[in-house]
Amino acid sequence: MPAYHSIFLDEPNQQLIGNFALLPLRTRTRGPAQTLPALPADISELDVDPSSESYDPLDEVLSLFRANTFFRNFEIKGPADRVLIYGILFVSEALSKIRPGMSRREAEKSVFNVSLDTNFAIPGDAGFPLNQAYEPPRDRNEAEALRQYIMQMRQELAVRLLNRVYADPSGQPSKWWLSFQKRKFMGKQL
Amino acid sequence: MANHTPAVVMDNGTGYSKLGFAGNDSPSFVFPTAIATKGPTGGAGGSGSGRPAVANKPTFLTGGAGGHLSGKRGTEDLDFFIGDEALTAASGPGYGLHYPIRHGQIENWDHMERFWSNSMFKYLRVEPEDHHFLLTEPPLNPPENRENTAEIMFESFNCAGLYIAVQAVLALAASWTSSKVQDRSLTGTVIDSGEGVTHVIPVAEGYVIGSSIKSIPIAGRDITYFVQSMLRDRGEPDSSLKTAERIKEEHCYVSPDIVKEFARFDREPADRFKAFDARQPGGRTVTVDVGYERFLAPEIFFNPEIYSSDFLTPLPNIVDTTIQTSPIDVRRGLYKNIVLSGGSTLYKDFGRRLQRDIRHLVDERIKLSEAKAGNAAKSGGLDVQVITHKRQRHGPWFGGSLLGQTPEFKSYCHTKAEYEEIGPSIVRRFALLGGPGSS
Repeated sequence: MPAYHSIFLDEPNQQLIGNFALLPLRTRTRGPAQTLPALPADISELDVDPSSESYDPLDEVLSLFRANTFFRNFEIKGPADRVLIYGILFVSEALSKIRPGMSRREAEKSVFNVSLDTNFAIPGDAGFPLNQAYEPPRDRNEAEALRQYIMQMRQELAVRLLNRVYADPSGQPSKWWLSFQKRKFMGKQL
Repeated sequence: MANHTPAVVMDNGTGYSKLGFAGNDSPSFVFPTAIATKGPTGGAGGSGSGRPAVANKPTFLTGGAGGHLSGKRGTEDLDFFIGDEALTAASGPGYGLHYPIRHGQIENWDHMERFWSNSMFKYLRVEPEDHHFLLTEPPLNPPENRENTAEIMFESFNCAGLYIAVQAVLALAASWTSSKVQDRSLTGTVIDSGEGVTHVIPVAEGYVIGSSIKSIPIAGRDITYFVQSMLRDRGEPDSSLKTAERIKEEHCYVSPDIVKEFARFDREPADRFKAFDARQPGGRTVTVDVGYERFLAPEIFFNPEIYSSDFLTPLPNIVDTTIQTSPIDVRRGLYKNIVLSGGSTLYKDFGRRLQRDIRHLVDERIKLSEAKAGNAAKSGGLDVQVITHKRQRHGPWFGGSLLGQTPEFKSYCHTKAEYEEIGPSIVRRFALLGGPGSS
């Protein structure tokens, strides 16, 4: 049984830029992504069922992150898998900013510093690590839209990751999550 | 006399030796197959006592110049320890530690002879001439090794009778205690996973199908290393091998799906996370938290990729290939009776997961071939069954105990008189114990 793939691979009517899928997200940050309905009050972020209409690729990134970081090989089966890969690599990066013993306030500061930075590489840029697997956008408009979408992903992932790492009422980061700092999915990092 | 005493069952493995009497539930002694002799830890030769290495070869190869215990040595040759005592002695000065068995096969006959003599006289306390002996051997053991064994057993120890059985066949016999086994057949696939290596061995009617045996370089030791690496990633206060091993033995289990298992840890942390009290040298005790390694460590059998970068084939696929390369007329029997044996198969739900994954592979292939045939013919399906039973840990020993207590066992043995009549070559063949026709 190899690494886990995205369940959004068979999603109909995917909007593509290059071969990256702009899937709907459940987020309040502004951007090109279609917005999914917010979670019902009685369901927490931790256990959204994949069949729920609010379940988005970012929930999937966070639930597959710990399993998939153990794998070095991953066969990309479609545009949705590229969303998954980018998400997992970003979670790795954000996680590496948190030090053991950091308070939630301090961790937010250093993680948001990364997620709000507009100066990051998108597919096609020279600094993007996975250009072999990702097609560049066709023109500047597409590139801008892709950058906006990835920006939305980064911001929303940062918030949700912190909720998980600081789920414990003690206010300390979870050492179980921090133990994944050194693992690199597919041997890559952003 | 020898007709009234129970047979002695000795299962000497690479790591541990299991000794006891036929008819018993569990072996009387389990200790490392290690011997400590005077002098430094030597190389391959039998020079543990400081003399030239002559006894490494059996007498017929050295023209009688090499020797067994009889006569040729001074008393310094009696200065040795085996088992746990050997480990203790070797940790002090003056003694070197040797492991006479490598990869399941006896490599140093001089050490092995002394190991056996201590096993009999110091631990089991038996007179060999009063007992029949049931010894075990790995699959594909060369017949010369059997002859050497017989030579030592009959000429040095003068034992009453000898039977040498293949470990995998005994492991099959041990599974007869499971309620899932109805017919006591000696056809099945044995998955034997110990400390160093995991073997998948197909057996048809008591005979090992040698050409289809597969082995996997992932076993108990690798699981321990994996637990250790996870402890280190988290910076636990104690991440020694000993602690990792204890955690592996006490807390690990096999999960149906690792992503779901991660989610379960998130939902019920109080239930899933454990703590382990590790005693450190100096008497201090520290608490080590136990987390995801509980289900990730045994997962390396099913997803070797998460542990090793050069060996990537999951165990269920190996089992499937093993059976597919066996003769076509026994495959059904091999799928129906997959028997687990050895300490690294004891994880909770190991058998269930294996059965599910193999069944999945088999069903997939059947569907594919039905589609190729244009869905003209429907397959009746294939029964895949993995047998888990209570005697897995010492499977081969228990199988030996089971077969050694049957009334006809002694008639299957070769006796000292037969050995003297025909010579060592007599042990190249044994009648099949527990096969068709016996009770």
